[in-house]
Amino acid sequence: MATSPRAGRSSVALTALILGAVLLISVAIVAVLSGGDLLGVPQRFVDSLYPPVAVTAQGEKIRELYTIVFLIGVVVFFIVEGLIVWTVLRYRRRPGDDALPPQTHGNAIAEIVWTVVPTIVVAFLFVVSWQTLNEIETVSAEPDLKVRAVAGQFQWTFEYLPADWTPDDPDAPAPLYTEFVPTRSGDSGGFVLPAGRSVQLYLHSPDVIHAFYVPQFLFKRDVVPGRTNVFEFDINEADAGQTFRGQCAELCGAGHRIMLFDVHALSGAEFDAWLEGKVANAPPPAPSGEPEPSDGVTPGPAPLVLSAINVLYEQTELNAPADVPFIIEFDNKEAVPHNVAINDASGASIFVGEIVTGPIKTTYDIPALAAGSYPFMCSVHPTTMVGTLTVN
Amino acid sequence: MATTALHPAAPAYRSTLYDWVTTTDHKKIGIMYVINSFLFFFIGGLLALGVRVELAQPGLQFVTDQTYNEIFTMHATFMIFLFVIPMLAGFGNYIVPLQIGAPDMAFPRINALSLWMLPLAGILLLLSFVTGGAAAAGWTSYSPLAQDRVGQAVNAGAGTGQDLWIVALVLIGTSSILGAVNFLVTIFKMRAPGMTLFRMPIMTWTVLVTSVLVLMATPVITSALIMLFIDRNYGGAFFDPANGGDAILYQNIFWFYSHPAVYVMILPAMGMISEILPVFSRKPLFGYKAFVFATAGIGALGFSVWAHHMFTTGAVYLPFFSLMTFLIAIPTGVKMFNWIFTLWRGQLTLSTPLLFALGFLSMFLIGGINGAFSASVPVDFAIHDTYWVVSHIHYVLFGGSVFGIMGGLYYWFPKMTGRMLGEGLGKIQFVLMFIGFNLTFFPMHELGLSGMPRRIADYAATAGWNDLNLAATVGGFVIAASMLPLLWNIFVSLRSGKPAGDDPWEGNTLEWATSSPPPPYNFDRLPEIRSERPVFDVRHGQAQGGAVQLPAGH
Repeated sequence: MATSPRAGRSSVALTALILGAVLLISVAIVAVLSGGDLLGVPQRFVDSLYPPVAVTAQGEKIRELYTIVFLIGVVVFFIVEGLIVWTVLRYRRRPGDDALPPQTHGNAIAEIVWTVVPTIVVAFLFVVSWQTLNEIETVSAEPDLKVRAVAGQFQWTFEYLPADWTPDDPDAPAPLYTEFVPTRSGDSGGFVLPAGRSVQLYLHSPDVIHAFYVPQFLFKRDVVPGRTNVFEFDINEADAGQTFRGQCAELCGAGHRIMLFDVHALSGAEFDAWLEGKVANAPPPAPSGEPEPSDGVTPGPAPLVLSAINVLYEQTELNAPADVPFIIEFDNKEAVPHNVAINDASGASIFVGEIVTGPIKTTYDIPALAAGSYPFMCSVHPTTMVGTLTVN
Repeated sequence: MATTALHPAAPAYRSTLYDWVTTTDHKKIGIMYVINSFLFFFIGGLLALGVRVELAQPGLQFVTDQTYNEIFTMHATFMIFLFVIPMLAGFGNYIVPLQIGAPDMAFPRINALSLWMLPLAGILLLLSFVTGGAAAAGWTSYSPLAQDRVGQAVNAGAGTGQDLWIVALVLIGTSSILGAVNFLVTIFKMRAPGMTLFRMPIMTWTVLVTSVLVLMATPVITSALIMLFIDRNYGGAFFDPANGGDAILYQNIFWFYSHPAVYVMILPAMGMISEILPVFSRKPLFGYKAFVFATAGIGALGFSVWAHHMFTTGAVYLPFFSLMTFLIAIPTGVKMFNWIFTLWRGQLTLSTPLLFALGFLSMFLIGGINGAFSASVPVDFAIHDTYWVVSHIHYVLFGGSVFGIMGGLYYWFPKMTGRMLGEGLGKIQFVLMFIGFNLTFFPMHELGLSGMPRRIADYAATAGWNDLNLAATVGGFVIAASMLPLLWNIFVSLRSGKPAGDDPWEGNTLEWATSSPPPPYNFDRLPEIRSERPVFDVRHGQAQGGAVQLPAGH
């Protein structure tokens, strides 16, 4: 040991103690102030490192927690990064520095300090995180509204459910109304929700894993095939009339980026009126096992039968007579939106059927076609649900 | 001390190439590991530029969605499995036997086998681009997305790319397992007299802990991959809910490996800077034993945090994994302060290795802090699967591992080749890389907070993400540019670099007690080993040396 090891040792312990005290005091200040008015200060200063303003009661709690974690992170960052920079600037090797610096091998007090202080800090972070977690994970027995979100490749469907609906019950009552958000139309399609009421969202996937994510909720939850996830949220009453962007957050295939939806928050009364109107206009569910009755006698050829299950057509070859209109009886056997669209050989659209979410049967009236071969597909699943219509 | 019958000196008719291809010398194998890893680093880097170019502006300009998914999947696959992990294994291969005074690895032929599996796996992955499309389900390859079919529908995971990906990963995993066994036996059985466990250099300690992690975790992911392969090809239903399987089970098994794998990718880099910081501050590592225990602690805790990647699945017990994840910050903090107090009151020489080590300290600090956000479950609900996570992983694996690897390269290049790398070019590379790195990855914090999900090929022009994405893309090209001074530096150095001598940095550990490059079987004589710094002790008269001036080898 070249120079006095004792001096080096005590200075390290002292420095570590001072550092630990500064860190603990800073964290304590953050902890005390995090519930107070100072919350708004970092929001204005470092807006870019802040999540968006939350629009749900749960999101606001998460944002408060973020504030605590963020401020502690900032304190730790400046203390440690400052220490690195200062050490590098201060302890450069200078000409004439031939003798070795003090060969300090370690210091038990310092090691204890920088074990105990971070332990206190992370224990605090864990406890506040757990508290917030318990608050936002609460699911009430009788929410104001139950909705089932069905995420399939690559679109969202929102089913507004009666109050006595329960998941995984084969005899559960049918949805009151189903809102289908077509792929790519994040701006037009919408998930209408009441502000100021508790909403329970049940998540269902018929294919791969997706994730329901609304940045302004500060929340996401995976939509996992084979399991039903549920969570509850309350949009702030003050945010009625606003629209929030939502998007799938778990890679789900080539259309992942276009799985968009908008959340429209309405006031309670507006929402009731909206849902009432939708329920009144919704077509009654088809009696199971029977085709839709057609009015009067249908002249012309026999209807073509086409059905869809598991995001596939069960018939990929259809034959129709040339030059007469005909009918396709479409049986969508699953809770995934499908339709039938027909193109001509050049790819131009000839017919696009209404998109229906099953289980439902519907009929499409197809105009007369010249003899030839026509590709048909589901507008929602144009890459996987395809077939050929032969007209002759 | 050689444990295996090795070839005598190669007969004259054998070419140099033949010599390298058939070698079992840990130093040549280590160098080939490093070269192989750099090749895949550049391929992975080009793929990253592909991602950045597509995201520079809103609108889908250059690739299709499917191609984009292939690009980022293969970027991560190459970077993780064929760059960072093998690169650190390569440095370990070269350095560990030297640092413990051993003549070679314990199983030289198995060592060669581990190496040659890697380019084979890399070729399989590259082939997948021309055999109908590479894997496109992300490097995580979650089921059912990575299944051949979902229900009866043909899936994006269909095709040979995903199968080739599985086979390549099983190969790489086998290589890792063999390497881990080799390291463990070497470290436990082949240390020189006097090299007790608590005199081992920290680099060797980190390789030891890493090998334990690999040995315990890699067989687990191998099983998951084989089950996924059976699901895809032989009608299995392990992970396919449509057939009664469990999608979450795959994630549990996958992350049981892949979270410890993060420590496999960072611990040896920590070991590297733990060699560099003492040498360039002329002080011993502060708190050697605390550092060893912290390393072991990170390794042990690393096995109880895997589900923090799954907080949003709704299928894990959140408080437990949150607590364990927070706890990891404690040994990591111990390390950080030990590093800083190694520099404290030292005499710092700001050579390129130290610059990169300081880059590691300051950037890994950010990666540690923004990791704590994810440990807080409710905050994770907001930032999971957004660009925040992309930022976090790169502050750890680029700001940490890559800066460490670059520091290690500048530090040990003289030992490997006998030539110094140029300081000027090294500093230019460091500055470019440091700026480019932060320009690329810091804006991603804000992108993630404002709601940009990861793994999307495009975003709305009205989302407010245009400027930040453009900045990240510019930063990506600055990083790419920082590779040019490195390549030029290596080229110039190998042609006409300054001779290094045995010990250009006044090193502490045994690799500096032999010639540069070391002779076959490494040492003719060893100095006395009285502490974790035997060469330092010799230099300052506290141990019998005599071996510092070694003959050239033969």
